[in-house]
Amino acid sequence: MTQFGTWQPKIRGKLFYNWPQGACEEALRFTSAGQLGVEPYDMAIVGAGVVGCGLAYRLSQYDIRVLLVDRLHDVGEGTSKANSALIHSGYDAKPGSLESKLLHEAEADWPGLAARLKIPLDPIGGIMMAVTDEQERQLEAAEKNAHANRATDVRILSATEIREREPNASPDVRGGLLVPGESLVDPFMASIAYAEIALANGVDILLGADIAGVELGQPSGAPLHHLVTADGHRLPARRIVNAAGLGSRRLADGYGGGAFDINPRRGQFLLFDKSARPLVQHILLPVPTTHTKGVLVAPTIFGNLLAGPTAEDLPLEDPAATHTTVEGIRRVVEGGSRLVDGLARQPVIATYAGARCACNQGSYVIRHNDGAPGIVTVTGARSTGLTASISLARHLIDGMQKELGLELSPDSAALDCRPDSAWPGWWRRPFENGATDARTDHGCAICFCEVISGGEIRDALDSPLKPRTMDALKRRTRVLSGRCQGFDCQVPLAEIVSGHTGIGIAQLTKNGPGSELVVPGQAEVTA
Amino acid sequence: MSCGQHFKVAIIGGGPAGIGVAVGLAKRGIGPVVLIERRAEVGGTPMGYRKKPGGVPTFVEWTRGRVVFGEELAGRMAKRLAKTDTTIRLSAQVTQIDPVEKRLTLLWPEGVCDVTADAVVLAAGAREQTPAEKGWLAGARTARVGFTRHITGWLDGNGLLPARKPVVVGSDLIAYSAAAKLRAAGSDKPVMIDRRRSPSAGLFERLFFRRWTRPDWSGDVTAAGIKGDRSAAGVQSSDGQDWHGDGVMICGELVPNTELALLGGLAVELPSRQLQLARGQALSEPGWFAAGNVLGGFHGAQWCYFNGRQAARRVANFLE
Ligand SMILES: Cc1cc2nc3c(=O)[nH]c(=O)nc-3n(C[C@H](O)[C@H](O)[C@H](O)COP(=O)(O)OP(=O)(O)OC[C@H]3O[C@@H](n4cnc5c(N)ncnc54)[C@H](O)[C@@H]3O)c2cc1C
Ligand SMILES: Cc1cc2nc3c(=O)[nH]c(=O)nc-3n(C[C@H](O)[C@H](O)[C@H](O)COP(=O)(O)OP(=O)(O)OC[C@H]3O[C@@H](n4cnc5c(N)ncnc54)[C@H](O)[C@@H]3O)c2cc1C
Repeated sequence: MTQFGTWQPKIRGKLFYNWPQGACEEALRFTSAGQLGVEPYDMAIVGAGVVGCGLAYRLSQYDIRVLLVDRLHDVGEGTSKANSALIHSGYDAKPGSLESKLLHEAEADWPGLAARLKIPLDPIGGIMMAVTDEQERQLEAAEKNAHANRATDVRILSATEIREREPNASPDVRGGLLVPGESLVDPFMASIAYAEIALANGVDILLGADIAGVELGQPSGAPLHHLVTADGHRLPARRIVNAAGLGSRRLADGYGGGAFDINPRRGQFLLFDKSARPLVQHILLPVPTTHTKGVLVAPTIFGNLLAGPTAEDLPLEDPAATHTTVEGIRRVVEGGSRLVDGLARQPVIATYAGARCACNQGSYVIRHNDGAPGIVTVTGARSTGLTASISLARHLIDGMQKELGLELSPDSAALDCRPDSAWPGWWRRPFENGATDARTDHGCAICFCEVISGGEIRDALDSPLKPRTMDALKRRTRVLSGRCQGFDCQVPLAEIVSGHTGIGIAQLTKNGPGSELVVPGQAEVTA
Repeated sequence: MSCGQHFKVAIIGGGPAGIGVAVGLAKRGIGPVVLIERRAEVGGTPMGYRKKPGGVPTFVEWTRGRVVFGEELAGRMAKRLAKTDTTIRLSAQVTQIDPVEKRLTLLWPEGVCDVTADAVVLAAGAREQTPAEKGWLAGARTARVGFTRHITGWLDGNGLLPARKPVVVGSDLIAYSAAAKLRAAGSDKPVMIDRRRSPSAGLFERLFFRRWTRPDWSGDVTAAGIKGDRSAAGVQSSDGQDWHGDGVMICGELVPNTELALLGGLAVELPSRQLQLARGQALSEPGWFAAGNVLGGFHGAQWCYFNGRQAARRVANFLE
């Protein structure tokens, strides 16, 4: 667990960025569909969120040609990057629902999965806290519901029992529910680990490719469809999985998929500095109302404290779906303060917002042969998709075997784990754990807040998915995510990336074309 | 530096204040002293303001009411430091402190290492307040939302203009000098906005910067959001005011770098992150002192240097 560097597996898949004048090397640049080979794919997955990546990972265990595409310039950059970062036990799901089943299975999967794939996970458990008499009256029903969801370890706690466990609980606490099955997770590493293994096992990954339409094949036997990118590339595939999250409606319109309505439900969060972490010992959950699950207060696996989310329904395609507002953040502080005493005086470091894919037809809508044979729509993973990603992938594969006649044989050469060197540096802390290293850049901090070295940044640049944007590096190493929000490290970081990859510093972006760090179109002056 | 080494005094931070402490201790013949600096050179914040041919100096040497290249100013201080016997550790970051044992854990190119001392001076400086800390500025998380530190990093370090139509958020001396720097480098006239009704820089300070630019001022902004899809396109207030731009610069309103103290258990006020002083520059644990902008507020480089000299006096008294 204590060595330096990153894993360098033998990589059987192809990786391209559709980034014409972009900030990546020639060898990574996608210019024609021919680069992916002439054979049509057995399966193309649109959307490299945690759902698409999880599916690609599971499929990579079989002998099957798979393509994973996303319009963004890293995996897990949509809804999957901005959530509460919890593995849910499903105690509050609707008993008997698909969500309940998926979460129940996933809860059992996660400890092993996290250990195998090297995804930081901390099973600290949760407490649902009733702070009014009315909420207290709901606890019994909530406990019953949890047991009906097979979360049999859930039980009611008295106010005294809560105070013993949570000395900073609000003085209004009346009682609560102990929910041992809730865990903290590194939400970014989930998508990344899935996709890295998939790539190593031969899944091709194309980033920066906005799928604007689907050309349907002749509806006979196993038709050959084509995904068509916004810039006109045609990607042939016999089966297509629409895992495009909030983009799933637009994509489904392209192949005549059945009716479903989705919209972004915005959730704003406030992140507190590490000094706030000792304030709570568990994930503190409010008693949900019929309208929302409410504002929770939870540690993050990174050692911060998080409060949020809000629940604000916005229209589809509204760019504000991931914007924060002064009013929303005020409501988060208010909500969090109902659970934890002294929260409002803690120093904050950042705010962010995520957009749940709220679906009128319910959580986890799955349609086989939707619009045309061989097409699968999966949408509505509203608030639990990170947790369910693993069980959902299995469920989707089962469904495709039954409904699409998909035949699978295991790939005996496939990897199903990442080695210890794939643990992120901030988690394994090699120096502190006694490792020695010949490279001095592992001992030279670039990000002072999180103590991340230049060596860790270079390792991340060399990791299998070849991250090339600042945000992609941030999700892998934690640079730019501390209390100074890049004050100290933004420019030195860009200098390291440019130096290591040979990409001009003026070309570097936060998250793809249009997000250049300095105004584009200027000649680089060497001072 | 062998691990576990013991010093008479350890100084955290090699900016003007830390240098002042080292020089002051040397004058008193106190040693051995170690100065630990996490960057590759000493000099602190002024070092970001590089001297370049054709460059315009914008670092304010406020006690003399003129602008200089910060690098030259800090360079003069560094020369005084070089004449002392101080052990200087560069690219070495103190990551943790034990206030009672006066033990510092640091990461440096050879690994992790502990040092101890009879007295410690925290001279870790300050940074600029983030939008989340301001509380009144939310919105999109886009590219080209940066700090004054980035303006100098891009311009002086890389010859690149971060924004052509900058919206400067903040109105203190640093904000005005940031606006001047951008304008001198060829940006459009900056827009300047703040929550305050009138700029926090004084009249004289504002007049001083008219040599370069007179930003379009809007005050009294109580709630606003950064606009833009992938890059910042300006700022919009909740009452409908709109400031268009291609970059948002978050300037000034310094926040002291007191996280070592806070996480290590020295007394720090929240949420201001202000150190709680026992008396003078002494911190809550005996043998711990602070100097320079880590004490909070805005102080110029010379003030910080002399404040460091003063801290050295207090350390000497303590050691006696
Ligand atoms: C506020 C909030 C809190 C949450 N908390 C939790 C939690 O604690 N635990 C938990 O388990 N879950 C949580 N969730 C839910 C979880 O984040 C989501 O269910 C999950 O991320 C959904 O993953 P996805 O892959 O379906 O969607 P996404 O991550 O949105 O992925 C879809 C991808 O498709 C791509 N795409 C879309 N259209 C196209 C196109 N035309 N062409 C190419 N690519 C396209 C997008 O770029 C995107 O990357 C939370 C969600 C929110 C918003
Ligand atoms: C953007 C900006 C613009 C400014 N403009 C002006 C101006 O024009 N004129 C003016 O007079 N003043 C200006 N100032 C104020 C400036 O802070 C002072 O001039 C002066 O540099 C403060 O000296 P200091 O030694 O207290 O802090 P700094 O100069 O900030 O030095 C602190 C040093 O400590 C190091 N350090 C911090 N923590 C650790 C650690 N844990 N381990 C090791 N090393 C550490 C830092 O790397 C840094 O080098 C400006 C400040 C900022 C942020």
